[in-house]
Amino acid sequence: MPLVRRDADDNLPGEERRENQRDRAGLLEQLQDPRPAARRRAAREIAGDATAMDAICNALEIETDAGSRHAMLTALLVTGGERAKARLLQLLRSEDAGLRNGAIEVLQGMPGLAGEYMDGLLSDPDSDVRIFAVNILESLRHQRVPEWLQQVLQNDDHVNVCAAAVDVLTEAGGPECLPALEALPQRFPDEPFVDFAVRTAVRRIQGPGGSHGQ
Amino acid sequence: MTRVLVVDDAQTVRLYHRELLEQDGFQVEEAVNGLEALERLAGTTYDLLLVDVNMPRMDGYTLVRHVRENSSDPGVPVIMVTTEGAATDREQALSAGANLHVVKPVQPEALLLQVRLMSGALS
Repeated sequence: MPLVRRDADDNLPGEERRENQRDRAGLLEQLQDPRPAARRRAAREIAGDATAMDAICNALEIETDAGSRHAMLTALLVTGGERAKARLLQLLRSEDAGLRNGAIEVLQGMPGLAGEYMDGLLSDPDSDVRIFAVNILESLRHQRVPEWLQQVLQNDDHVNVCAAAVDVLTEAGGPECLPALEALPQRFPDEPFVDFAVRTAVRRIQGPGGSHGQ
Repeated sequence: MTRVLVVDDAQTVRLYHRELLEQDGFQVEEAVNGLEALERLAGTTYDLLLVDVNMPRMDGYTLVRHVRENSSDPGVPVIMVTTEGAATDREQALSAGANLHVVKPVQPEALLLQVRLMSGALS
């Protein structure tokens, strides 16, 4: 069978021609392609193009294929910037748990922007959004993480937001968090889980045989 | 012994549920997200799953849908234990295939009663 060099897209069938359009317009079109593999490929190739941010987010909001969703979230992470941050923060309010968790993971990978939105997110009237903010803090490399978590323990009036903060501190907290942790059960005296979680966190922070102030 | 799989990314929650259930005679195993739970379910069966909603890698709704549609034990009872208590959250949990939707923080006696009833430990 002879090898045929294809110099012109005009000679290709429609579907193949569309696949070969690797320019911006072609990639944006392929984000809507009915085939998941084409959407994944388009998301990977358009990553880094800040002008495609809204198109990627719009596609992400209706994406049902896990691999394509992952590729689109990765494209947002690679591209970064203010627009990505704004759209990801909107996704925290999605009814789709997978999308919310994807947004959390991407925001964790953008620590440089956290200072701009974290105070607002931790003051959001929706306690679920404040829990997602604490979830972002879990793996966020930012110098204010301990301060934000202690603020939650001292000020947030929702038990589940505080419980989420205790869980993060169980993994990553230091001795400076102990006073705020040890005061928390007094704020929620009727919640046995809070008492248990705080005891667990304090034990982990102090280590074997440790005690406060040593 | 009645076996329960606790699926939650929060280690304090996993430990709390483990302690609570083991004191009541249950055998408890843990998974930190939906994917890890599916791996465990591929190798063994459980009498009940206690599943969180918001977890990295695979959320609780997706896990429960997989269990109902693709697992070797699609009828295993599932209690979703979540921070989200709105009516729409309950609808999502039940339409994904959960048998019960419980809002955190759980009251120990209430959760134990539901686990005993749904796992068959009382029969």
